[in-house]
Amino acid sequence: MSTKASRTAARLMISPAVILLLGWMIVPLSMTLYFSFLRYNLLMPGMESWAGFENYHYFFTDPAFMAALRNTLALVGGVLTITVIGGILIALLLDQPFWGQGIVRLLVLAPFFVMPTVSALVWKNMFMNPVNGVFAWLARSVGLQPYDFLTHAPLASIIGIVAWQWLPFAALILLTALQSLNSEQMEAAEMDGAGPLARFWFITLPHLARAITVVILIQTIFLLSIFAEILVTTNGGPGTASTNLTFLVYMQSLLQFDVGLGSAGGVVAIILANIVAIFLMRMIGKNLDA
Amino acid sequence: MKTTFRALLGATALCAASGAAAQENVTLTVATVNNGDMIRMQALTSDFTEKHPGITVEWVTLEENVLRQRVTTDIATRGGQYDVMTIGTYEVPIWGAQGWLISLNDLPEEWDADDLLPAIRDGLTVDGELYAAPFYGESSMVMYRRDLMEAAGLEMPDAPSWDFIKQAAAAMTDRDAEVYGICLRGKAGWGENMAFITAMANSYGARWFDEEWTPQFDSPEWRATLDDYLMLLTEYGPPGAANNGFNENLALFQQGKCGMWIDATVAASFVTNPADSTVADSVGFALAPDNGLGKRSNWLWAWSLGIPAGSQKVEAAKQFVAWATSKEYTALVAEREGWANVPPGTRQSLYDNPEYASVPFARMTLDSINAADPTNPTVDPVPYTGVQFVAIPEFQGIGTAVGQQFAAALAGQATAEQALANAQALTAREMTRAGYPK
Amino acid sequence: MPRAVTTRRKAATTLIAWTIGLLIFFPILWTVLTSFKSESDAIAIPPKFLNFDWTLANYVTVQERSNYFRHFWNSVVISFGSTLIGLVIAIPAAWSMAFVPGRRTRDILMWMLSTKMLPAVGVLVPIYLLARDTGLLDTRILLVGVLTLINLPIIVWMLYTYFREIPGEILEAARMDGAGLRAEIIHALTPMAIPGIASTLLLNVILAWNEAFWTLNLTAARSAPLTAFIASYSSPEGLFYAKLSAASTMAIAPILILGWFSQKQLVRGLTFGAVK
Repeated sequence: MSTKASRTAARLMISPAVILLLGWMIVPLSMTLYFSFLRYNLLMPGMESWAGFENYHYFFTDPAFMAALRNTLALVGGVLTITVIGGILIALLLDQPFWGQGIVRLLVLAPFFVMPTVSALVWKNMFMNPVNGVFAWLARSVGLQPYDFLTHAPLASIIGIVAWQWLPFAALILLTALQSLNSEQMEAAEMDGAGPLARFWFITLPHLARAITVVILIQTIFLLSIFAEILVTTNGGPGTASTNLTFLVYMQSLLQFDVGLGSAGGVVAIILANIVAIFLMRMIGKNLDA
Repeated sequence: MKTTFRALLGATALCAASGAAAQENVTLTVATVNNGDMIRMQALTSDFTEKHPGITVEWVTLEENVLRQRVTTDIATRGGQYDVMTIGTYEVPIWGAQGWLISLNDLPEEWDADDLLPAIRDGLTVDGELYAAPFYGESSMVMYRRDLMEAAGLEMPDAPSWDFIKQAAAAMTDRDAEVYGICLRGKAGWGENMAFITAMANSYGARWFDEEWTPQFDSPEWRATLDDYLMLLTEYGPPGAANNGFNENLALFQQGKCGMWIDATVAASFVTNPADSTVADSVGFALAPDNGLGKRSNWLWAWSLGIPAGSQKVEAAKQFVAWATSKEYTALVAEREGWANVPPGTRQSLYDNPEYASVPFARMTLDSINAADPTNPTVDPVPYTGVQFVAIPEFQGIGTAVGQQFAAALAGQATAEQALANAQALTAREMTRAGYPK
Repeated sequence: MPRAVTTRRKAATTLIAWTIGLLIFFPILWTVLTSFKSESDAIAIPPKFLNFDWTLANYVTVQERSNYFRHFWNSVVISFGSTLIGLVIAIPAAWSMAFVPGRRTRDILMWMLSTKMLPAVGVLVPIYLLARDTGLLDTRILLVGVLTLINLPIIVWMLYTYFREIPGEILEAARMDGAGLRAEIIHALTPMAIPGIASTLLLNVILAWNEAFWTLNLTAARSAPLTAFIASYSSPEGLFYAKLSAASTMAIAPILILGWFSQKQLVRGLTFGAVK
């Protein structure tokens, strides 16, 4: 369909974005890569020396590394599960006719606008605090012992906070997709005697597949680098129970100012993120092309 | 956009040129922590600018962790974004030795450096050069509820032992009434739980490193420290202790839920302030506990103002630092907000002032500060300075990682033995990596 | 929809939907309520919902202490600036990918998205050094630049998926008429593309407004946006829930109101090609 001339034009038009992103990627990445082979602590200037793979060795043998890897996956997986399932349920609900649809939609949308630091502070201090929090008060008023969320279920609590922020995003995309569902097909199925569950399973869910793919893809990108919520609530603890890769890199590069080790961690995190990305693309890329 | 940029560039050039020449139209950027005393200082800026026309002050007020990360990045890369930085006794020895700070030995005579409390002054001096001016100093002490102590039939001595603290905690705890015998820091972090536990360990005869920089977490002294710490908090502490830092405990104490609280001396003015505290009238103070080994478990910290080397506005910055840490500033705060609110813990003259002596926590604060010795913090000799920290660049990372291990033990996810073994292994690992012994 | 819905069922749905909506919204409502309390009411047990002494004191304190409007204005400039520049760069790229797809189009898209995975904490030091050497530290230009680059992949992708849904025949028709490439874009496509562009703009303004790592670490006094404003109220010494709530409300309110008012536009394009 396209001519040679329009191809050249297309290339011209795409190049600013590509060049800029290439620069944004290559300049810090090559600096990071270079630093990762140095002994380089910002607090001890003049001591830089070639370190070979020492930084990588230390990063991989860090006792917190495996835990961080597991926590990263659990965090991404947990939030995705909650937001996709919760998102579908909310979308189905909002798709029904009821009074005040517009307002409820605004209420559901709101958490998406809240800064991560603010939401973490609010949840930690005003809700999950086992003495002063709203949850503790609720537990006590029905005669239960307050549950200490951030001590006994730190990762799950963080998953909850993050899921709250991303639920609106998932719900809205899914709702938009749901609204484009062909109602005639639904009615035909209803006439054929298909129950609501069957209709959901065989018609609605396949229709939503593409939207679910998009939700997973976009959220994964953001969820891999969750940081502020952990810093504010648990500082990665107790132990390493809520340390993810980003937080581990933070502890090494910004707490100790060990640029060498932090860079090695950064490189590892980039590689792992890209593995996840490639995996995702393979798995769901077909869906997007259709 | 472009014009803004040009204007900015122009403004920067102008500032630099005039700063070198005279005191005309200098803008100082002051980075500080969002603690109460600093916020008060910010509100009193006009007193400074009236006395020094031509100097304008821009404030960057941030939460402690964010601030530390910002100023450290900036000074280590010589970013030059700040003219005055608020730093603590941890940073000053390290940065001073690196030549990153400007010596304040030449502050004017009337600023009176000899009036500074010796422990504080020592903590801010490297090789005879004072590298930061103390804004307020703090130690730690026991704050307790006199009414609950009385009800338990006990009397708090001025210098309690750890055995007495355990006994009192047991006697005051009443879980049904939500009164917990003791509140302590539990949130992981080198400046959170580790500040408390390290100071506590000093009084048990433990230390971070021996003179060869070998970590000492495998010693029986550390074991005893951690066992007692865990016992106190699990038996008599509030729920959620593993995530409580200074603020969380402050809130608990103000609501009357803690029998005792061992924490920073600056908390005294908050817990005795009737506007915020429900127990303001019944708070007593005592020195931090000991075990009769010659070291108490109190720490020493001073938030101080330093000037980064390479600043273009050193003269103006010095005038600001001298103003904020002067006796006149103290008098100004006393006049506007009352003596209980002046920045404490830096000058002998404040404690010699009869008006200040009537503040209930004045004497105990001074005694606590004087009981700390950052250059000789432990029972056995150590190669480092610092009471509740080790003044080496690696400590922030190591301290936080060890703090996570101890928090895990407090949360019941590990035993004390495991936590100490992990702490020993990770500290040894990091120290080897950093090339110790040096 | 021709299907009949009984009133009873509608009432039941209404009840459930409102309950869920209010539950999700509750933390924000609670923050706003707390911002009108005194510090001691803010931590009272049992919690006080409406039966407290309403006060504006926290807002007064916050306004006296921090220059809210400067932070606000910096946030506006940074988030809109980076989004607009991002759009200028992304529109041609997305257009050509959507209408003149090559063999590598999808790879390029995916590669672009993968640049978003660069962990910020790991590259702060290199970027800080670069900013220092170019004299751009604590300028809005730097932040606009960094946030443009961070959000560019999302902008390109959103636009790409939106443009792809524009029927190709329109393009053909324009070509038949002999319109040049520029005219083609402006006359035939713009009107159809506007909802997608509007939605992209809104989403990216929200993302840039809430970005809290770079905006905190690359600014000091002059260019600090609302994220830095919040950082001066989180966990100071002493009780702070009420003041924090007031500051949070002030930081969230502009973007929340913008988001609510433009909700329809936002949602319409927020599909990333999810709707066929």
